[in-house]
Amino acid sequence: MIGASPNGHRPGGVSSPQVRSRRTLALLGALLLAVMCAYVMLGPVVFGPEQVFRALLDQADEVFHRISVWEVRVPRVLIAALAGAMLASSGAFLQSVLRNPLAAPATVGVTQGAVLGAVLALAISFGSEGALDDLNAFVPMAAIAGGLLAGGLVYVLSYRRAGTDPVRLILTGVIVAAAVSSVTSFIVLVSGSHIDSIVRWLVGSLGNRTWEHLVFLVPVAVLILPLVVMAVPLANALQLGDAASVSLGLRTEEARAITLITAVVLAAGSVSVAGGIAFLGLIAPHLARTLVGSDLRRLLPCSALVGAIILVSADLLARVFSLDWIPFWDIQTESGSRVPVGAFTALVGAPFFLYLMRERMR
Amino acid sequence: MTEEQPMIPDSAFTIDGVSTGYGKQVVSRRLSLTIERGTRTALVGPNGSGKSTTLKTLARLIEPLSGAVYLSGQDINRLPTRQVARQMAILPQVHEVPAELTVMELVEQGRFPHVGALGMLRRRDDQAIQDAIGMTRLSDFVHRPIDTLSGGERQRAWMALALSQQTDILLLDEPTTFLDVGHQLDLLELISGLNRDRGVTIVMVLHDLNHAARFSDRMIAMSGGDVVADGPPAQVLTPRLLRDCFGVEASVATDPNTGSPMCIPHSPIFSEDQENAANG
Repeated sequence: MIGASPNGHRPGGVSSPQVRSRRTLALLGALLLAVMCAYVMLGPVVFGPEQVFRALLDQADEVFHRISVWEVRVPRVLIAALAGAMLASSGAFLQSVLRNPLAAPATVGVTQGAVLGAVLALAISFGSEGALDDLNAFVPMAAIAGGLLAGGLVYVLSYRRAGTDPVRLILTGVIVAAAVSSVTSFIVLVSGSHIDSIVRWLVGSLGNRTWEHLVFLVPVAVLILPLVVMAVPLANALQLGDAASVSLGLRTEEARAITLITAVVLAAGSVSVAGGIAFLGLIAPHLARTLVGSDLRRLLPCSALVGAIILVSADLLARVFSLDWIPFWDIQTESGSRVPVGAFTALVGAPFFLYLMRERMR
Repeated sequence: MTEEQPMIPDSAFTIDGVSTGYGKQVVSRRLSLTIERGTRTALVGPNGSGKSTTLKTLARLIEPLSGAVYLSGQDINRLPTRQVARQMAILPQVHEVPAELTVMELVEQGRFPHVGALGMLRRRDDQAIQDAIGMTRLSDFVHRPIDTLSGGERQRAWMALALSQQTDILLLDEPTTFLDVGHQLDLLELISGLNRDRGVTIVMVLHDLNHAARFSDRMIAMSGGDVVADGPPAQVLTPRLLRDCFGVEASVATDPNTGSPMCIPHSPIFSEDQENAANG
């Protein structure tokens, strides 16, 4: 190539990384649409595009098609995409503001707090008659409250005279997360026969999620959107360190609080409908960083798309995969032979994360 | 402490009876200083002398325990911090470098005080950014992640961030510490050029006394939180100061090339007084 500089970076092409990342975002958007279409078409029963359209228009050949597409797959894929995007965005904010590549909603106790809220609500509803299903809107509300409380607790406990700092926030977060998890374990132990539905919350599952849950989640996402927009430039400056942020004229503690509140609400909202999905909040921002870099103006939308793609794909696997496929294994759980999606994200996420780390350490 | 606010029209900073410290540990007591506009001031002193703390107090990174710092006649801790950031930039001693952040993405942040948070949502391509990149000779590196740069290039990138703030005042905390001698001189020349060509007021903490003498108009030597010598380098950098303040026997000569004083330290002195001071 003529004129290429030896290090492979074109000195003149000032706009090229912007153009490149715009292209990446467009590609990811297309990929998300593709996996969402696949999600609606595939499953125990496979529908062609035409059957899907007819089902959506309420002109299906069989009522069962309409129910399967409109009542099950469409709301569930929308929930998967939104919950995945919110969890990944939360992770992107936390990694930047806490200046730690290992930070995630679970590092600061928000995931555990939200799970505890959901589990507590379930345990209480077991006591009362009959009302023990995930369709109850009381459970997501309790989950959000739990996540916010845990996040608030971590912030308050990290606060000293001059404010908080990233290291203290993470250490406090880890401790609060451990304490909250032990309370959850206790509830699991005493909840006896309902352990199955509680474990699904711990691991993260989208089983039985329908329009009610989407109607709950969408307002949370819409309400937090202005804060997300506001937090992007603040987190961008904060990731340069406190001294540099002061130099740039930021009120650092206020900026940190705004960004953390945003991250906590995003994560708590996600957990409130999807449960404690493992690794997604950690891995999606990492992947996004390798694609578009660390500037949150690009990293945040990219993380959201990657998170949505991963959760939709993982839940597609979870819907298709059946425990019956495992030979010589007759164990049947109470709620059938489906594996919760969180088990897939953890199974794929853990080794993938190891791989990422090894690549980086080189 | 004086009754009325000190109003010296041409001063960048007026430090009025400032005591500094961290929590209950007091570093400096009732320090008073004035720093004129358009000058280069070097703060020197042994480790723990309070020079960095003084710079951080000027930078509003720490608030004084008592007294006040005035920036152009106004209490710096009462001014809106963004307004201060349009007048004064800081090059901190240690940097956090997020992985994968490019030079351009770093330098762009310097526009924050001018355009505000919402303005930073758009890509900034202001003239100030181009100037800062040009002055620090980073044009070939704009899209390189900072963590792939050499130490000298990296420090120039942070310098470019401070420059793109386009301020009249620049505070630098040991800007040359991790650089080799070539890059040290390169950076100090750049700083002096800003002062010479644009009248930028420079206040910097430097460890290298010969650099401090060569690249400043005024040296302030600190020890134990107090100013022990203050004036033009030729008056401050003396064998006596080196003995009393730094605890070394040294000879001082005039650099034949630059005309500034330079010292050659010979050996440390361990007096009983100093041992006591160190332990107390």
